Amino acid sequence: MNGLTHKLSHIFEHGDHAHIHVKEKPFSNPYFVGVGLGLVLLAAFVIMGRGLGASGALSTTVAVSVNKIAPEHAAKNSFYTEYLGDENSNPFKDWLVFQIIGVLFGGFISGILSHRVKKGIEKGPRISTKMRLVYAFIGGGLLGWGAKLARGCMSGQALAGGAVLNLGSWIFMMMVFAGGYAAAYFLRRQWI
Amino acid sequence: MNAPFFKYEYFGTDVSLIIAFVIGIAFGFALERGGFGRATILAAQFYFTNMRVLKVMFTAIVTAMLGLFFLSVIGFLDLSLIYLTPTNVMPNLVGGLVAGVGFVIGGYCPGTSIVAVATGKIDALVYVIGMLFGIFVFGEMFPSIENFFNSTAMGSVTLPQFFNIPYGVVVFLVVVMAIGAFAAAEWGERKMANKSLEKKI
Amino acid sequence: MNEITSTRNNYTIDPTLSVWGWEIPVYLFLGGMVAGMMLISGYFLFKGRQTEKNCSCFYLPYMSVILLSIGMFALFLDLEHKLYVWRLYTTFQITSAMSWGSWILVLVYPILLVNILIKPPKFLEEKFPQVINWKKYLLEKPILLKNIGIITMFFGAGIGLYTGVLLSSLGARPLWSSAILWLLFLVSGLSGAAAFVHVIAKDVYERELLAKADNAFLIIELFVIALFIIGLKTATEVQAQAADLLLTGEFAPSFWVFVISIGIIIPLIIQLLAVNHKVKHTALAPLMVIVGGLILRFIIVSAGQYSHWFNSNFH
Repeated sequence: MNGLTHKLSHIFEHGDHAHIHVKEKPFSNPYFVGVGLGLVLLAAFVIMGRGLGASGALSTTVAVSVNKIAPEHAAKNSFYTEYLGDENSNPFKDWLVFQIIGVLFGGFISGILSHRVKKGIEKGPRISTKMRLVYAFIGGGLLGWGAKLARGCMSGQALAGGAVLNLGSWIFMMMVFAGGYAAAYFLRRQWI
Repeated sequence: MNAPFFKYEYFGTDVSLIIAFVIGIAFGFALERGGFGRATILAAQFYFTNMRVLKVMFTAIVTAMLGLFFLSVIGFLDLSLIYLTPTNVMPNLVGGLVAGVGFVIGGYCPGTSIVAVATGKIDALVYVIGMLFGIFVFGEMFPSIENFFNSTAMGSVTLPQFFNIPYGVVVFLVVVMAIGAFAAAEWGERKMANKSLEKKI
Repeated sequence: MNEITSTRNNYTIDPTLSVWGWEIPVYLFLGGMVAGMMLISGYFLFKGRQTEKNCSCFYLPYMSVILLSIGMFALFLDLEHKLYVWRLYTTFQITSAMSWGSWILVLVYPILLVNILIKPPKFLEEKFPQVINWKKYLLEKPILLKNIGIITMFFGAGIGLYTGVLLSSLGARPLWSSAILWLLFLVSGLSGAAAFVHVIAKDVYERELLAKADNAFLIIELFVIALFIIGLKTATEVQAQAADLLLTGEFAPSFWVFVISIGIIIPLIIQLLAVNHKVKHTALAPLMVIVGGLILRFIIVSAGQYSHWFNSNFH
């Protein structure tokens, strides 16, 4: 088994990178990045009349999976049917799905250009890898649930809704910070 | 030329998906540049050691907001055609709180977790699976919480409409608030840096 | 499907032909990959690289045999009258692309077998000791090996272009009525195979060469796609409408995003940086090229079936 994983990782990383400069580049200036991100968001508004998003694409994935396994069950639930659309169109032919595919590749290109693509686990110094993954799963679950209840996540609600001064988005954003700072103290062992 | 282009039917739905991909690339690129693909950086926000998230996010919001304001004032962009997520006060409140707690526990938010997966972070992959599970749980619960989900509905409403203040004034206030937040963030970071320095000595 | 006729006189053709499922695109894709692999391995043989320890011309023939057999099996699944498959080989129709193709496919197997004999697998040597003598005979004759290399390349190119000719000879669909389709499929097969071999090659020289070659193939592929589209756009109205299916219509999102961006441009950028030692070589860019090639076949086959002569706005 070990031999196999070694072989596999060998396929993914050739031996000839010894002479390649692999040092990570530092992250860009946050205000500079912020202006860039704002312009991307503005472009989405000007071209499409809508903001960016992320959790919608995942909801489509869930809805399609549920529909594949139990079509009758999915048809009864208006949450799923909204993401499935009518029968004539493919539910994956959706704005947010294509946008998220773009995010995946945009992140990858930026990462590879600055040598930051590296297999690894992000965690604080005082937590085990296993616990970190458990926390990641729980956190993801809570965020998925919460974002659906609030009709959007940090991208769709806080960022895009924030820029159009949407009342609900600002409520959501303030609550995210409130919830985050309230929980931060209890989770400090994970991060610092 | 009038914006938003899509609403004026300059191109169809199929072409809009190509645009979605291009905009997504730019979005992912910017997020990665900002360091949003790292859970440790995102979480540091909540311990005042690295306020990148706040700085990037508020700069982005202010930039896009000023752009929208300017383009609508010169009559290029029709603001009423821009999609507004309907406001439901209680679901927004509760959802925001749960999402905030989930943010600190998981270390990512949905968009940044995708960027982290793209740069090879295993924990982000687990996070995405968790998120799919969370959405599935929400979907299964949906029939029983549908009433709550649709409660305290206020429709599509913006801050200027709600507080009955002119649009320009709200824009100005948000800019002032953002500058204040930036100053506070810089001050907080320096303070935390001194503190950890003292600890080391 | 119903093997009646490939013109409009087939009752399944109007209003939209939709009798080809996943089997045909998968077969076309695997055929293209095999074509590319045979060209690559034939080239190395022609160059006399069998003297190297880790020449990819040793194992590419095996993979070609396996992939080609899977592809043929997919093709076989698609046939309506499976038991009559032998009838293809009782005749040779000089004007039929299918007849050419089925004969080429049959001739490819012995050629690949000869390629395998240059370095036969251990169990074959143990079971049939005379294989070792054949191997020795082949290795003593570099000129013969050179010629085997040329024949391998010739038939590899034959498979590659035949997959395109097969579609363009189906006059019933405007999207396929392009004389450049064979070149598109050949170049796409070459880029996919070069990407694949570049990942698995053990020899450093071959790896570097194939990475560079793959970039060249991808650039050529972009030009060929452009010519393909321009050719359709400047032809009759229905052909222009068929091209619009890819450019702005039904198939535009998958065409631009999965074929052009993810299948060609993004891996090209990454591989150009990798060849210049700016970033690490990984298997991700080649993987994108291969998946892009597969999706290209799917789109050309489904969009082709969707396009038709009399009114493309008809749904």
